[in-house]
Amino acid sequence: MATSARATTPRGRSRLGDSLYAYGFIGPAILAMVVASFIPIVFTIFVAFTNWDGYHNALVQGFHFVGFANFQEIANSFQASVLGVVIWTLVFATLSTLINFGLGLFLAFLLNNPNMPERNLYRTILILPWALPAAITILAWTGLLNTDYGPFNLMLSSIHLGPFNPGHVPWLTDPNWARFSVIMVNAWFGFPFMMTACLGALQAIPTDLGEAAEVDGAGVMTRFRKITLPLLRAATLPLVISTFAYNLNNFGAVYLLTAGGPTASGSSSGATDILPTYTYNLAIVLNRYGLACAYSIIIFIFIGSLSAAQMKYSRAFEDLER
Amino acid sequence: MIEQQSGEQAAGAVAAPTAGQTGILIAKAEALSRGRTRSHLRPDEVAFLWVSRIIIWVFILAVIVPIALIVIASLTAGNSLLVTSVIPSNLSFEHWRNVFDPKQTSMLIWLRNSAIVAGSTAVLSVLLVATTGYAFSRFRFYGKKYGLMALLLMQMFPAQMSFVALYFFLLKIGLLNTLQGLVIVFLGGGIPFNAWLFKGYVDGLPRDLEESAYVDGATKWQAFWKVILPLTRPMMAVIFIFVTIGIYNDYILTNFLISDPSKYTVAVGLRGFINNQFGQNWNDFAAGAIVAAIPIALLFLIFQRWLVSGLAAGAVKG
Repeated sequence: MATSARATTPRGRSRLGDSLYAYGFIGPAILAMVVASFIPIVFTIFVAFTNWDGYHNALVQGFHFVGFANFQEIANSFQASVLGVVIWTLVFATLSTLINFGLGLFLAFLLNNPNMPERNLYRTILILPWALPAAITILAWTGLLNTDYGPFNLMLSSIHLGPFNPGHVPWLTDPNWARFSVIMVNAWFGFPFMMTACLGALQAIPTDLGEAAEVDGAGVMTRFRKITLPLLRAATLPLVISTFAYNLNNFGAVYLLTAGGPTASGSSSGATDILPTYTYNLAIVLNRYGLACAYSIIIFIFIGSLSAAQMKYSRAFEDLER
Repeated sequence: MIEQQSGEQAAGAVAAPTAGQTGILIAKAEALSRGRTRSHLRPDEVAFLWVSRIIIWVFILAVIVPIALIVIASLTAGNSLLVTSVIPSNLSFEHWRNVFDPKQTSMLIWLRNSAIVAGSTAVLSVLLVATTGYAFSRFRFYGKKYGLMALLLMQMFPAQMSFVALYFFLLKIGLLNTLQGLVIVFLGGGIPFNAWLFKGYVDGLPRDLEESAYVDGATKWQAFWKVILPLTRPMMAVIFIFVTIGIYNDYILTNFLISDPSKYTVAVGLRGFINNQFGQNWNDFAAGAIVAAIPIALLFLIFQRWLVSGLAAGAVKG
């Protein structure tokens, strides 16, 4: 930074001098981004066209181009295993986003009640799951939901309601229960963020709007539908879209809980595998690095286009025109 | 008195459909303008309040119970998995001692590694992001528009999905399996989003601040460092915490780039710990998880207000 041009006089600003100074300011960050983000992304595209795997170790033998073979393989295996992963990725992201948003909005609506003097205490307690580091929390949940020894099942099996005994629920070991658990745990630490966001949006709505409507005879539901909801939608829709994009790529929520499993024998994908965890397992378990990079590109395109749509919606680009 | 008041309001509310329009409107307007204190609540408001409370209590229970189970497990003697009562009968701090005893567990090493990587990356990130965000906010320079567009585009791609490439990159520069390598990898990832946040914050500060500094003979660097930077402390804190929490929670990259157990971070170390011999390690794990969670939770709760507004700003801007 010190190497760039000396300060020009404040009034007679030269564009070039300004530019040099600015490049000094942004240079280090550009360097870091090029090294740690841009080059790796370009290199990922490169590796996707090679056969780097356990049998063709590129680190020893060098890279060997195979054209579109990896993408061909994805297309061929699409019916067999990948289709299920793609569908579950979409189902997981959709359900997670809707449940987290629904719970968050519902609780925010209840908490946004001026007649409840202790609401700030409730809010602070409900925000706890968000304050805890997610990775540690999810790992703790794997213990809580352990089929044989987990506290949840130990509590459940001590309940005897006549002939009904819930016994040991295979929370993480049965495909459908595991899917349920992944979404439930994600909701547990995901709803406080949505709740906070909705609460902020609700509090930003001027109260005299509602009071005026009340004077005009509008009921609670009418006021909610005609005033609260439209204003809330404008404030939270960008948030919902970016949460959806985030959940499509929510590696930790799935991998740390189930590692994508349970996996049926002979299948390359597990019941809770989303595209990022499936890709990760391709690399780390099967050493299919080239194939994993091909999948990474698909994920880039998938999430990149969603983010672009979201930015278009929130009109971030218009800021650039200034 | 209280009874009577709420009775009146209830009567007004019930009579609404039948009584004359004007009278009701005046009554309602009066009720609204009085500003209801708790004792003035209508019965339907009281009912709504209590139904709300009960629902909220259920959710609070759902939040507290899992945390309580972990706390109880960390305080139960031996490797007992059974939760017998709210306060364990065989209360013991042995698992907490194990966490802090390097002979029993490696948790202190993992915590130290996480602190080193997250802390140094966060400090460097704040510096890089502050200069970048400031330049994009205040300077006119060639390529500014495309630079901003590039920032927006870069943040759309989940950089951690290029983990294979990052492995090769660190291998080539000889930093695979090192904490420095992790810092380099993490440093690049968060810059676009955070620089965008920081730019937005500086945009909101008046330009007169620097102009008067220039009049007093300050250089551009001095105007930035001595005048603007101290004013951006809230945003610097937000970015510091975002970066710290993000790295603390990372598993995908750290696990792929680090194979030496003495370089594990908390997330990677704890996962291996609980996946091996669950029954034997569960109580130690519980204590370790609490120790690992406390610093982040404290950071978060202390800076909560700033974090929420920072996140909201980021979400709106993409």
